[in-house]
Amino acid sequence: MALLEKYRELVDLARQYGATVSDEGNVLRVRGEVPSGALKDSMWEIYDRIDPNFKSNDLILDVNVNATEGGKVKVVTRESGDVITLISKANDQWWLVRDNDGEEGYCYSQYLEPVQ
Amino acid sequence: MKVFRLVSMLALILAVGVATTSCKKVKDADVQAAAQTALTANPDLAGVSVAVLDQVATLSGTVKDDASKAYAETTVTAVENVKSVVNNIEVVPPAPDFTAIDAALNSGLADALKDHATVKAEVKDGVVTLTGEIRKRDLQTLMEKVNALNPQQVVNNITVK
Repeated sequence: MALLEKYRELVDLARQYGATVSDEGNVLRVRGEVPSGALKDSMWEIYDRIDPNFKSNDLILDVNVNATEGGKVKVVTRESGDVITLISKANDQWWLVRDNDGEEGYCYSQYLEPVQ
Repeated sequence: MKVFRLVSMLALILAVGVATTSCKKVKDADVQAAAQTALTANPDLAGVSVAVLDQVATLSGTVKDDASKAYAETTVTAVENVKSVVNNIEVVPPAPDFTAIDAALNSGLADALKDHATVKAEVKDGVVTLTGEIRKRDLQTLMEKVNALNPQQVVNNITVK
C-alpha cells in the first residue's frame, strides 16, 4: 500500500497504458507493454526522480515497447539510429532481426525500439 | 436354597451384562492405530499424528497446505468408531525452491552484464544483488535489463559515478 502511494505517479501512468501493477509487500512490480519508447523512458525518469539512482530496491519496472513482428525497429544504441526489421521475438530479451543488407541475427531487445 | 438361587441368578445376569458391555466397548488404542494407518497411507499427511480418547480423535502435526489439513480430517472422520475429530494441524507452507529461478537469472545476467564490465551481480533466492560502479547514463539501461529478467527483487549497491 505504501509503495503504491510512493510510486503513485508511475503507477497511474502504467495503469493508464494497461500495464499490470502488483504490490508484493516489499516490492512493487510494474510489468507490461507500452506503445512507445518515449513513454517507457518517461516511466524510468519518474522512477529515477522518486527514487534517485534506483537505490530503494522496492520496485521492479519491467516495461517493454510493444514491437510487432515483421515491423521496423530502430537500433537505439547507434547514433545513426539504423532502422531494421524485427523478424521474431525469440524471448523477452533476444529478438531476431534483419538489417538492411539482409543479414540476420539476434539483438538484445533493450537496444531496439519500434518505429511507428 | 431359594435365596441362593435368586442371588446366583442375579449374579449371572450381572455378569452377562458386564460381559456384553465390555465387548461393545471400543478400545481407543485400536481406533488410534486404525486412524494412524489411514493417515500414513497418504504421503502428504506424513507429518500428522493422531491421539484418540473416548473415541474423539485429536490431530496434531504439520502439513503443507489447507487442503491437506482438511483431507486429514476427512480421512480420520471416516475411520470406524471415531465420534468426532479435533483438528489441531498446523499449516506450514514449504520454503519455495529457487534453484531453477536462480539458474535462469544467472544465465540472463551473463547477457545483461556483458556491456557493463564494472558491474557484478550475485543471485540468491531470486534476489539479484548488484555491486561495482557505473556511469549515471548507463544505469537505466542496466536496470532495464536486470528488471526484465523477472527477479524477486533487485538490490542495487552500485556506486554511481
